[in-house]
Amino acid sequence: MLKNKKIPKVGIGGPVGSGKTRLIERVVPILIKRGYRCCIISNDVISKEDAERMQRTLSTELKVMPENMIIGIATGGCPHTAIREDPTINLAVIDEIEKKDPSLDLIIIESGGDNVMTTFSPALADYFIYIIDVAGGDKYPRKGGLGIESSDLLVINKIDLAVHVGADLAIMERDAMKIRVEKPYVFVNCQTGEGIGGVAENIIKSVLFDKKPIVKKDRIR
Amino acid sequence: MNTNHEFFLMQLADSFFPSGMFGLSNGLESLAKHNRIRNEEDVLNFIEQQIEFQLVPCDCIVFLTAMEAAKNRNIDELVEADNRFYSMRLIREVRNTSVRSGSQILNCIIQMTFDKKESKIAKEFQKKIKSNETVGTYPVCLGIAANLFGIPIESGIRMMLYSFSQSVIAAAIRLGIIEHISGQKILTLLSDKINTISKNIKKEPLNSLWQLTPLTDIFQMIHEHDNSKMFIT
Repeated sequence: MLKNKKIPKVGIGGPVGSGKTRLIERVVPILIKRGYRCCIISNDVISKEDAERMQRTLSTELKVMPENMIIGIATGGCPHTAIREDPTINLAVIDEIEKKDPSLDLIIIESGGDNVMTTFSPALADYFIYIIDVAGGDKYPRKGGLGIESSDLLVINKIDLAVHVGADLAIMERDAMKIRVEKPYVFVNCQTGEGIGGVAENIIKSVLFDKKPIVKKDRIR
Repeated sequence: MNTNHEFFLMQLADSFFPSGMFGLSNGLESLAKHNRIRNEEDVLNFIEQQIEFQLVPCDCIVFLTAMEAAKNRNIDELVEADNRFYSMRLIREVRNTSVRSGSQILNCIIQMTFDKKESKIAKEFQKKIKSNETVGTYPVCLGIAANLFGIPIESGIRMMLYSFSQSVIAAAIRLGIIEHISGQKILTLLSDKINTISKNIKKEPLNSLWQLTPLTDIFQMIHEHDNSKMFIT
């Protein structure tokens, strides 16, 4: 359930290289095509590289959102602190966004790459997506951790690599079902876009509650 | 609120208190990257210089002014101190972070003490921020918090200088400049200086604020444009 009437917020966390940024680059155009207006906050451990990359792909190349709606935050080497124990700077940036454009449908917060114990403060994210990748081995879901167990949606990325690293997707699915009980999970390939629609649908249903977006002619401002 | 000020002092000074300070190196990252700071002695010197030429003549005076203005319910003086401090932040990231941190501290203490009559001035100041009449810088909001929790001036200054030193040391450890025991040694070495300042500092008129840390300022400006960095500033 959403915390208040403010703009809904989705937190995306996961280890370095699991595909957080690429997932956002794939999901956001789908949401925008459906008429939803988004803003992205990217927490990064050692740079604002991810934010700058998304500005290039989503603003410059795809032209689906304005550059100033993708904001980078350096986390002082503490990505988990910035989204969990002390989300102060993220909350301050969210306040600024809500003041600037209260009609936005969604704010996506990307965590800096972190470990399996990543979680988002409930004050920061209404919905938590945790992403892992197949290249980490098919033991990954079974090992658990707060991210894998408590996230609202588990995304298992890079399914195309399974054959190359000897990972069995059936084992990963079995363990994901077992450890997450009834919580959803999706297998995706962020490189090709396979399965991404399922992530977008989960966001639309569980975060936006199938709300009809307000049609705006000038989406890029 | 006053009887329990020591508890609140610990609460505000704790790195667990949500102020966003963990994301700042206060210029240390850039200075270290350019080999200006390399070891325990350099870190200690850096903190001492920042205290002497930045915090004592500027941040602490603004903090004291805010404490007194909050006590006297003087909203105009709070706004003046806030705007003056903001105008003296030369580096954009430093300005932005001070405001982001300050406004969130204010939000936190208001939620902690919402039903208390003492929080009225904090709520009034927050309204001024929301209506863009002021910005809500860190030392002003911390001063409002210190007054709200009945923290004595001397303890408040000690808390502010300790928090600053602790955040720089934490950054130095994360950057790999020093190790954890060195961090505690530096804090111990700073204790006499911080205690002396805390006992002797007096509130000054706002028009006498000054700061002189050109090297740090320049490296913070360089840091703003760095492609690879851990800290906001």
